[in-house]
Amino acid sequence: MLHKFRYVNPGDRSELLDLLAENGSSAKLLAGGTDLLVNIRGGVQRPQLLIDVKKVKGFQGISWSVTDGLVIRPGVTINELLRDATVRDKFSLLAECAHDLASYQVRNRATVIGNIVNASPCSDMAPGLLCLGARVVISSKRGERELPLAEFFTGVKKTVLASDEILERLVVPAAAVGARGSYRKLKRIQGHDLGIIGVALMKKDGLISLGISSSAPTPVLVTGLHEGDAEEVLVAASRKATSPISDVRCSKEYREFMIGTFVKRLNREVK
Amino acid sequence: MLEHMEPSELKLVGRKALRVEGVGKVTGEAVYVSDMALPGMLHAQVKKSPHARARIIRIDTSKAEALYGVRAVIVGKELNYKLGLYVVDKDILAKDEVRHYGEAVAGVAADTIEIAKAAVDLIEVEYEVLPAVLNHMDALKADAPLVHPNLGKYDYVPVFSPQAGTNIPNLSKLRKGDVEKGFAESEWIVEREYTNPSVQHVPMETHVAIVEWKTGDEVNIWSSAQSPFTVRNLFCYTFKLPLNKVRVVVPNVGGGFGGKAGIHLEPLLACLSRKAGGKPVKMRATREEEFCLLPCRSALTYRIKTGVGAAGKILAQSLTLYWDAGAYADYAVNVTRASSYSAAGPYDVPNVKLDAYTIYTNKPYGTAYRGFGHVEFFWGLERHMELIAQVIGMDPLEFRMLNLLKPGSITITGERISDHSGDPAKCLEAAAKAINYGKLTPQEKAREERTGRKIGKGLATLHKAPAMPSFTATAAVVKMNTDGTVIVNIALTEIGQGSATAMAQIAAERLRFPLDRVKVTIEKDTDKEPYDWQTVASKGIILSGNATIMACDDLLKQAYETAAQVLRAQAVDLDHDAQGIFVKHRRDRVISFPQLSVGYAFPDGNAIGGPLIGVGRYIAQGLSNLDKETGQGLPALDWTFGAHGVIAEVDCETGEYKVLKVASAFDVGKVINPDIVRGQAIGGMIQGLGTAICEGYIYDEKGHLLNPSFTDNKIPTAQDLPEEIETIAVETAQLDGPFGARGVGEHPMISVAPALGNAIQKATGAELLHMPIRFEDVWRAVNAKEPIDNWITKTPTGSCRSDPATRHSSPDSAALP
Repeated sequence: MLHKFRYVNPGDRSELLDLLAENGSSAKLLAGGTDLLVNIRGGVQRPQLLIDVKKVKGFQGISWSVTDGLVIRPGVTINELLRDATVRDKFSLLAECAHDLASYQVRNRATVIGNIVNASPCSDMAPGLLCLGARVVISSKRGERELPLAEFFTGVKKTVLASDEILERLVVPAAAVGARGSYRKLKRIQGHDLGIIGVALMKKDGLISLGISSSAPTPVLVTGLHEGDAEEVLVAASRKATSPISDVRCSKEYREFMIGTFVKRLNREVK
Repeated sequence: MLEHMEPSELKLVGRKALRVEGVGKVTGEAVYVSDMALPGMLHAQVKKSPHARARIIRIDTSKAEALYGVRAVIVGKELNYKLGLYVVDKDILAKDEVRHYGEAVAGVAADTIEIAKAAVDLIEVEYEVLPAVLNHMDALKADAPLVHPNLGKYDYVPVFSPQAGTNIPNLSKLRKGDVEKGFAESEWIVEREYTNPSVQHVPMETHVAIVEWKTGDEVNIWSSAQSPFTVRNLFCYTFKLPLNKVRVVVPNVGGGFGGKAGIHLEPLLACLSRKAGGKPVKMRATREEEFCLLPCRSALTYRIKTGVGAAGKILAQSLTLYWDAGAYADYAVNVTRASSYSAAGPYDVPNVKLDAYTIYTNKPYGTAYRGFGHVEFFWGLERHMELIAQVIGMDPLEFRMLNLLKPGSITITGERISDHSGDPAKCLEAAAKAINYGKLTPQEKAREERTGRKIGKGLATLHKAPAMPSFTATAAVVKMNTDGTVIVNIALTEIGQGSATAMAQIAAERLRFPLDRVKVTIEKDTDKEPYDWQTVASKGIILSGNATIMACDDLLKQAYETAAQVLRAQAVDLDHDAQGIFVKHRRDRVISFPQLSVGYAFPDGNAIGGPLIGVGRYIAQGLSNLDKETGQGLPALDWTFGAHGVIAEVDCETGEYKVLKVASAFDVGKVINPDIVRGQAIGGMIQGLGTAICEGYIYDEKGHLLNPSFTDNKIPTAQDLPEEIETIAVETAQLDGPFGARGVGEHPMISVAPALGNAIQKATGAELLHMPIRFEDVWRAVNAKEPIDNWITKTPTGSCRSDPATRHSSPDSAALP
């Protein structure tokens, strides 16, 4: 199936927002393209216009300050995140998630924000970002709004983004510094694979958060758990928040079992 | 072939040598058909069926034909040809009925790939969907739809036995001894059923060909194919053309593994070229097309019933193999035939009843795949041996050793094993020793303590003979250049197995030349290379190796005859070294090879001799057709025996496991090149691990392939290699092998899966009957849960694609992450 589309490469933010406002519903934003281009090739998505965000002034790089927290912009690739000293030192959970995403070559192209806006249930970045309390800053010609990442996903590959909006910044609050956490992903091979399930567990200030992928229509966040809670309590909370299904990758039964197993393992490993 | 030579006498054979085609491959200079473009070349695409079985009501190609840049559009109806390797059952494009998901129904040739794709989208096909038969066991039922109602009318090669009016294009039988008596005398009878799904070869270079059908029916074919002469033969058979009108050229090939053994895209591209006025037409399959337009490896259901005597000797075996051919017989009928004389393994079994069925279903069809059936049936057989040992309370190694073939044993087809047949016991012992079988080392015990995981060790044996006609033949031509270098022409294709390097070593050894004076052609051309049957079956080293030696001897004989005249000596008194020929007892005068290469000229200008061109012809010796009722006869050029030992570390709670070590031993007769043997051993082993741990086609209940890409059809990566790999070459010389060598191309892939399954069982007690062995399968087996059979699944949608908008629905579209 051959699909023709237009490609534009705006250099500044207002131009981008104009393009989105004009073409929103028939346009798709292009960053790494590791999902979008594959989908276009497969005939699953047929956008009329691709708006490349990589050259937009101000859309590159990661910044960190105690006041603004960790700010990740649309051009930031997974490997850029992995190379960032602040991420490595202060947000190792995020680095773990990034390291488990696809292969090195794909990580050179794929972006952090792309992995979020794609809204795949098996997102590798979402579990860690959810635990860390990340917030999303959404922009359009109409203005800017900010909300917790936990409120961003609305269904399988669906988000709160309106057709004229872009997720412009992912912000991990400075308050998350000092959290201890880890990510575990069940795969079919040792090499790169989509998560059959993925679980991030984070401990901070006596509280435990869980971020779980491939187990519900969206990645889910579980809060309200405490260090010292019995394993069964954690497992029960994870089960309540998820609704895995059977598919070509795995059965529902095994997914449920492995979510529980990973929660228990992570609770023991994260000191 | 050769009198015994001490290793110390050998200068090149048995020693390391760099691959002769290696530099081009690592620099990217090597040319593959994928890289090629010809002047005026068109690009082809095909329209594929979204249904497993459907009647074609109407195909409207008018819009496609009207598209600017489209040069030819064809549909099945206009092509009155039948294709087939052994049973001639396939149309070039589906005609009245489509028989599998992804089958081609129309073809387009256009100026660009983009135009061809757009044209395919414009072709309208109206189908009447018919009930499909998907599970091969269902296809045997009396009321099953017939995939080929005309089976009784098709041409076929007489060694096969199609059953008209059924879905069985071949039934091969074997009877040895009295199986009922054997069971009656048995102390234990163990019966189980083992299964595995279809898998894909996944060569790095997908199927690709360029074909031009020129004026006067001159056809030129460039193809990424294993066997140029087979492409030519089958092509000419189908189109009724003389063989000298069709030329097949095979440059470098990016992997074959059996999937490129037969004929594939060439006939379709030829028809498109002819319709487009003779312009060359190219098509390269996409990865998704590799999975369902092109063939796969057959699924198998293997029922084994074994009777064992009080002392642990196997007394009787009833073996029934149900091979899932898919929609066309292709190689599956010959895989079935090969299994009918091999499926008892390297064991001495006095009484055997074997029935091997090939079964049509409405699924992509099966073809040759490294191991040619042995990977599949050894999964069952070597798991079965483990389970029998458990039942009778004997160690599995001891049980195997007790029953292995040894000199004097009679195989199930009646062949007597000799001292030179190869040594399965030595292989098994070597593999067992390499993994410290039967105990855990202190380090392993410490590791268990540290990880909380259990370590298990498992073994499995293997054997395989080339599956080939009794009269399989090949030839080699060795031509000397005026500087004393030589060119070796053989049609054995270098598909990564290292045969070009091995042949160069053999030729250089025989000629007593340094290796760099020998060139073995890489590009194969049916107009230039001498005949070879096929590059398959691990038969290249013996047949082409022997032909190469004979061609070298022929060249030397010619050189000696000329030199004898120059030296005024008898040929019998002559000898030679790398430089030239001399009289043995008077070595001061040497007639150099350059002087002899194209004829010798005396100082006065008179000349004798002529260009030195040696020809070697070799044909398999002493093989016979198998009796159709009893399966008795001599099918095996040689048997390569082997064994794997696997150490696996298993989480008994979750079924997750890791392969810590694989040790593999093969009786290769004589190592020609140790690095290439090791490379084959490791490459085959990891391919076998893929089959063992994760690979397999999954269909929905309508026969749609749900995982036609690497998204959900995983293959192992470099990270999946075991922590430790050991390869061992046993050398029991094959009397008719070049320098004693026998083939080992396929064998490393065989029996990796059961060795892993046996190791996992040792660690956990899991009784695994199905491969691949996914973590969930181990978990289910450990917890005595019903195994999941999702190879035809009731739940086609995934957690990552449960949104209908993103669901994979057409073979023209890619699978989604």
